[in-house]
Amino acid sequence: MKRWLGLAALVALALVSAVVLGPAHVALADLTSSAIVRSLRVPRALLALLVGGSLGVAGASLQALVRNPLADPFLLGLSGGAGLGAVLAIALHVAGPWALPLAAFAGALGAMALVYRLGLVGGAQLDPRVLLLAGVAVGAFSGAITTAIVSLAEAADLRNAFLWLWGGLSGASWDTVLVMAVYIPVPLVVLYAAARPLDLLALGEEPATHLGADVEPLKRRVYIAASMLTAAAVAVSGVIGFVGLIVPHITRLVWGHRHRALLPAAFLGGGALLLFADTAARVSVAPRELPVGIVTALVGVPLFAVLLRRWTGRGARG
Amino acid sequence: MRRLLLASLLAVACRPTADRPSVPRTAHRIVSLAPSSTELLFAIGAGEQVVGRTTWCRYPAAALRVPAVGDGLNPNVEAIAARQPDLVVLYRSQMNETAAAQLARLGVATVTLAQDRLEDIAQAARELGRLTAHQPAGDSIGAAIDALLQAPAPAALARVAFVVWDNPPMVIGGGSYLDQLATLAGASNVFHDLAAASATVSIETIVARNPDVILVLSDSTAPPAYSARREWRAIRAVRQGRFIMLPGDLFGRPSPTAPAAVAALHHALEVEARK
Repeated sequence: MKRWLGLAALVALALVSAVVLGPAHVALADLTSSAIVRSLRVPRALLALLVGGSLGVAGASLQALVRNPLADPFLLGLSGGAGLGAVLAIALHVAGPWALPLAAFAGALGAMALVYRLGLVGGAQLDPRVLLLAGVAVGAFSGAITTAIVSLAEAADLRNAFLWLWGGLSGASWDTVLVMAVYIPVPLVVLYAAARPLDLLALGEEPATHLGADVEPLKRRVYIAASMLTAAAVAVSGVIGFVGLIVPHITRLVWGHRHRALLPAAFLGGGALLLFADTAARVSVAPRELPVGIVTALVGVPLFAVLLRRWTGRGARG
Repeated sequence: MRRLLLASLLAVACRPTADRPSVPRTAHRIVSLAPSSTELLFAIGAGEQVVGRTTWCRYPAAALRVPAVGDGLNPNVEAIAARQPDLVVLYRSQMNETAAAQLARLGVATVTLAQDRLEDIAQAARELGRLTAHQPAGDSIGAAIDALLQAPAPAALARVAFVVWDNPPMVIGGGSYLDQLATLAGASNVFHDLAAASATVSIETIVARNPDVILVLSDSTAPPAYSARREWRAIRAVRQGRFIMLPGDLFGRPSPTAPAAVAALHHALEVEARK
C-alpha cells in the first residue's frame, strides 16, 4: 500500500510541476485563468501521462510476451513503420492537420501486421523469437526506404518528417488528449485482463499451457494490444525511447513479477517519467526546447544503471 | 570515360603528397554546390561558365538547364569530377572540407564560401566576380548589399516571429540572414536573442513573446495548416490570422535579391499594419 501511495504522490508531483513550470512566466495566482496553462500546459501534461503510461504498459507486456528483457515497444518495427508513413504522407502531399499522425499510425499498424505475419510460424503459432527478429528486420527495412525517399526527394519538407518523428509532445492539444483518452482504454483493458495468463507465460509456454493458459490466443491478443498502444503513442508524440524499456524493469524491481500489479504500476511510472522528462525538456534550455527522447535517455538510463547494479548485487549475495 | 577516371584516380593515389591545386586565374568550367553561389554566378553574368549545380539550385530559371550533380549535402565527388570542372564552389561546412580535400586529390581547384549572412553574400559576390572575370558585376552586387546593410534601419513596424516548422515548432533566431532581412525591413524578430540560425521552441514561448505577425516561408498564399489547430490558436497572431507569406524565390536562401526581399517584406508589413 505504501508503494502505491508513493507512486501516486510521484505522479501528482509530476503533474503539478508540469503545469506550474514552463518557459513562459505565469504567476501562481493566474494559474487557473492563464490561457498558456489551460490550452498548452494542461493538455500537454495529460498527453505526457497517457503516452508515458501507454509506453510503460506496452513495454511491460511485450517483455513478458517475448520473454526478453531487452524488448521495447519500438523494437518490434513500429517506429520504422510510423516514420515511413509520415514521410509518405509528405511525399504524396496528403494535407490536413491530422495527415501526419494518421499516416504514422497507419504505417505503424502496417509494420505491426507484417511483423505479426512473419512471426506466425507455420501459419498458426506466434513464435516470440521469430517475432523479435521480424520486428528488427521490418524496422530496419522501413527505415531504409524512409531514408531513401528523404535523400532522393527534393522537398525540404521531407527532412522535417524526421523532426516530426522525434518531435515529442510539441503537438499536444485537447484534441490529441481526447483521442488518446478514448482510444487507449480498450488495449489497456485487454492487457490487464491478460495479467494472470501473462504471469503463467513467464514460466514458459509449455508450463503455461499445463497450468491452463490458452497460450496462442493470449500471445496474439497481447502483441496486438501492445502494438496498438505504441502506434497511438507514436502518432501523437513521435518516437520516445527508453520509457517502455526502463519503466517496466524499475516497476518489476519494486512490485515483483505479478502483472496484475505490474501493469498499473508501469502505467503510472511511465506517465510520471515522461512528465518529468517533458518538463525538463521545456524548461532546462528555455526559450529553446530539447527533444524529449534525449531527456528520457539522460534521466532514464543512469537511473536504470543504478537499479541494475543494486539488482545484480542483491542477486550475487542471494 | 569511367576507365579514364579510374586511371586518373590511380595516378592520383600513387602520386606523393601534393599541394592543393591552385585556383585558376579565370574559371571556365564551374561546378557550384550551393544554391546561393549558383544564383550569384548567374547574377554576375557567369552563368555560361557553370557546368554543374545541385538539385537544390533552382534560381534563376536558367540554372535548371545546367546538369545537376547531386544534392550537394554530401558531395558526390565522382559525379562532380565527371563534369571536368576547373573550379568547384562549396558552401563552407565541415562535411564539405572532406569533399574539398577529395577534389584536391583529383587535381580540382575548390573555393569554399560562407553564405550564412548578408555580408557573406557581398563577399562571395566579389570573390566569384574575381574568379570568373566578372569583377565589375560582382563588386556592384557587393556594393548594393553593403549599402543595404548600412542604410539606417526603418522604424519597427511590427514584432514578428519566423515559424518555419510546426511540430516541433521551429523559429528563426538572430544568427540568420532572415533575421537581418527582418530588421532591415522594419520588423523586430522576437527570437532575435537566440544566437542560433534556427531553434526548436515551445508554443508556450511563442505565446509569451507575443509577436504581432507570423512570417512563413511558403510559396502558397493560404495560411499554414497549423493555424487551424487549437494549441496554435493560443498565439494572438495566429488567432487574428496575421501571417505574411514569404515566397521561396526571394526569401529561400541568402541571395543577391536581398534588396528586393527587404522591400517586399517592408511593403507587406505596412499593409499588415494598416489592417
